[in-house]
Amino acid sequence: MHRLIPLAVLLLMSTCCPLCGQDDVDLATREERVLKQAAALAAPSVVRIETVGGRDRVGSTPGGTGPTTGVIVSADGEIITSSFNFAAQPTSILVTLPDGRRFAAEKVASDGVKMLTLIKIKADNLVPAKPAPRASFRIGQWAIALGRTYPTPAPNVSVGIVSALNRIWGKAIQTDAKVSPVNYGGPLVDIDGRVLGILVPLSPQGNNTTAGVQWYDAGIGFAIPMEDVYGALDRLRAGKDLRQGVMGITFKTKDIYGAAPEIDRVRYDSPAQKAGLKKGDIITDVNGEAVTRIAQIRHLLGSSYEGEQVSLTVRRGENTQQAELTLVGELKPYESAFLGILPERASTEQASEAAGVGIRYIYPDSPAAKIGLAPGDRILRYGDSNITDADELRDAVGRFRPGDELELTVLRGDERKNVTVKLEEIPAVVPETLPPIRPPQRKAKADDGDDADGEGTGRIAETMEGHEHDYWAFIPEDFHPDHEYALLVWIHPGGDTMEADMLEAWKPICRERGIILLGPKAEKVAGWTPNEAGFVKAAVESFLEKYPIDRSRVVMHSYATGGVFATQLVTQDPELFSGVSLAGAPLQTAPPENRPENRLQWYFICGENDRLHRFVELTVQVLTKLRFPVIMRSVPNAGRIYPDAPQLEELGRWIDSLDRI
Amino acid sequence: MRRIGGLIAFGLLGIMAANSAAAQQANSAIEEVQRRVVKIFGAGGVRGLHAYSTGFLISPEGHVATVWNHVLDPDTVTVILHDGRKFEGRVVGAEPQLQMAILKIEGEDLPHFELADAGSAGTGTRVLGFGNMYKVATGDEPVSVLQGVVAAKTRLRARRGAFEVPYDGEVYIVDAITNNPGTGGGVLTTRDGRLLAMIGKELRNSETNTWINYAIPVEGEFADIAEQIMTDRFRSSRDEVKRDEPENKYRAVDFGIVLVPDVLFRTPAYIDHVLPKSPAAEAGLRADDLMLFVDGELVQSCKELEAELGRMEEGDFVPLVVRRGDELVTVELEVPDRDE
Repeated sequence: MHRLIPLAVLLLMSTCCPLCGQDDVDLATREERVLKQAAALAAPSVVRIETVGGRDRVGSTPGGTGPTTGVIVSADGEIITSSFNFAAQPTSILVTLPDGRRFAAEKVASDGVKMLTLIKIKADNLVPAKPAPRASFRIGQWAIALGRTYPTPAPNVSVGIVSALNRIWGKAIQTDAKVSPVNYGGPLVDIDGRVLGILVPLSPQGNNTTAGVQWYDAGIGFAIPMEDVYGALDRLRAGKDLRQGVMGITFKTKDIYGAAPEIDRVRYDSPAQKAGLKKGDIITDVNGEAVTRIAQIRHLLGSSYEGEQVSLTVRRGENTQQAELTLVGELKPYESAFLGILPERASTEQASEAAGVGIRYIYPDSPAAKIGLAPGDRILRYGDSNITDADELRDAVGRFRPGDELELTVLRGDERKNVTVKLEEIPAVVPETLPPIRPPQRKAKADDGDDADGEGTGRIAETMEGHEHDYWAFIPEDFHPDHEYALLVWIHPGGDTMEADMLEAWKPICRERGIILLGPKAEKVAGWTPNEAGFVKAAVESFLEKYPIDRSRVVMHSYATGGVFATQLVTQDPELFSGVSLAGAPLQTAPPENRPENRLQWYFICGENDRLHRFVELTVQVLTKLRFPVIMRSVPNAGRIYPDAPQLEELGRWIDSLDRI
Repeated sequence: MRRIGGLIAFGLLGIMAANSAAAQQANSAIEEVQRRVVKIFGAGGVRGLHAYSTGFLISPEGHVATVWNHVLDPDTVTVILHDGRKFEGRVVGAEPQLQMAILKIEGEDLPHFELADAGSAGTGTRVLGFGNMYKVATGDEPVSVLQGVVAAKTRLRARRGAFEVPYDGEVYIVDAITNNPGTGGGVLTTRDGRLLAMIGKELRNSETNTWINYAIPVEGEFADIAEQIMTDRFRSSRDEVKRDEPENKYRAVDFGIVLVPDVLFRTPAYIDHVLPKSPAAEAGLRADDLMLFVDGELVQSCKELEAELGRMEEGDFVPLVVRRGDELVTVELEVPDRDE
């Protein structure tokens, strides 16, 4: 019926246009009126949400303290909104209804798949939002994003179209209306004022509550279809948070669009393990639908919840196998098993052409020490498989659990013997003394006259191409291309690049331990912005390409306020880093997942009197619970201060031992 | 990402070309506006600071309104008209409160906006933004046009401290990405070319950490002051005496409210206890009440509460909203006399 109203209004209006003086009203003007009216129709269900208390930052993404928006879904006070609004875990939630009445709200439950949160106020006779039926969705149709963040009687609006459907693994409508913290949680409405969906930040990669915020106002916005919201309402009402369901497998390849979905790892005690899935199985059917690529599986299961049943068909060799799984919300933390050795490196002078992996160092009291292994021994085989290099041995050991037994074939001198070793957890220790591995001697200058010794080494300062950002770096003067280096990525704290101090403190350690130090600089020294992650990532990748760097010794290092950005980088690109070392800074984001496919080790150092000391301790507890290997050092009688030489010397040893197995 | 957003928004104008008559009419309106908008080149070029902005002609003899920013730092700036004519411009007056500066170029019979004809528009109204964004327009190329709607018309300073601007009047918030480098000083018009507002300088909303796209209405104060500058009758607000902060500001304890220790960056303003016979006790406030609104303003922390109470004047009645359990309770406190 309301479709007719604009026409009636039209007839009453006279001119609209001083420049043209035409009497008839053009299509664009009529459209504008209909759009305004659609916003007005939906407005009674759109509320303003304010929060008090909670963390000031959520990682380094905006910890929104501003007002946000919600949509009424029941007459008796249920309101759905974006979980983004609650990422800071506020202590108090306030709702202002369109008529100006204010209520305290309680959080009922969150939906971790669709990134929605249900809250409840004690009020009656509210106007629930009218959903647009899914069948009515059309790409290209008008879509109006509404928010209630300004103290105006009418909601704030942004007009666009529906750009795509079933985005983000089947979860969301995509729109080019401007979607940002000013309307997250608000409705995306159609031309009839019916709610197409609830606006949320989403990203195809990230899966936390603030993922996708970096796309704000970019013409890429997402909304969870309102029908799905109403569909999930009963479960949310029960008060239990809904979590994404997982199986506990990883695939052999990262190419989700090409290669066959072949299982690589099956996590211990996961639904996949219980259903008997094994490494090498190829998934051919998911819930009766044939699949040939990983992306198809993610589409089918992308919005599955914990507790849902999935039936898989897998091909194992010549056979076909059926598996029934009940998805879980959380996997048991991965625990890496530990043998207790540091491997020799390719460039170690003693490393001969001999097969297997030479042992550089034995951890005292480790499984390797208990069975009498010694430096210089070579590990040739485990079980029935030959070992060709350290990465292979590390991967093999990583597939076992602490307590498992492993058969090794070891070579000492000319003598071969088989031993059985009982693996343990990775201990929180740093070798007390660890002789460094020197790079091979460079040829004398006389041999190749024009190759100036030390060119491109020492301190260098460059601008990252394509990013207009600067970085500095230190390359040990005796750099040799056949030597494998560690990479230390230094994220400076806000207000100070600390370049001179860092250089002075780290030069001797870098020389001794074969470490390349990379110091990206924030565009504004005052502090990093989340958008600069792309530059740092590019800088790290360019170094990995340019220099011979051992991927198992790439360390993120930061101090004080730099820690937030540093951990954001690690969380976003965990596969780039193998160690994280924070001085005077706790972890301020949700910790990354402890995944067997990329092992992450942590080293915290903090002054005992630092205000943040107890938060650093908490961080260590949390990470230890997740079974990460974590070292923590408290500096007695010190406040917020960057570590001094003896402490950094140990940090150098830690970096030199990150390739432990 | 905002920057990419700006580029994406480019050239979406075609959407409005729904029927050809309307399109033609919109096109001629756009051309009319473009003839009155100028490109300004001045100081900057140092990292992060662009050396260009936008302005619009407001008199036939060459007065140009633009945004008051670093681009205008040198004595003269270069002003380039839509047809490529190049002028030297000098600042003849400025009102930083409005982010406004008026330049003068030596010209005559120039196409211009009549300030008196500036209009206004409501939420949801389609608007056009014109500006020298990213200086993509060069020489005789007219400035770029964006389309969007008025997202809201509101005060930027409605919530204290959220925006670092002195201007506290109403602005247009738009859903086009108008606040790109160089677009400041451009114009926001209705679809048929009527002047609405001057696009403001780049601004971040410190509450949500997002960039906001806003424009300062020309109708009213802006037009009045621009007229005064053009006729040489204007005295800048910068000459005004700074208001002194009252020396002994009220604190929560003056009302008999003792807050919980302020240990966090943003400690919620819970009442630890209430002093007997104080205004707070008389108003019925209790321990564990959470102070939420003071005089209609949300207070999100102990610090904000103290700041808000600090603004009170002797003899005022302050409406307060506190949360008690899951109820919101409204009380009124009388501001006590100052003990000297």
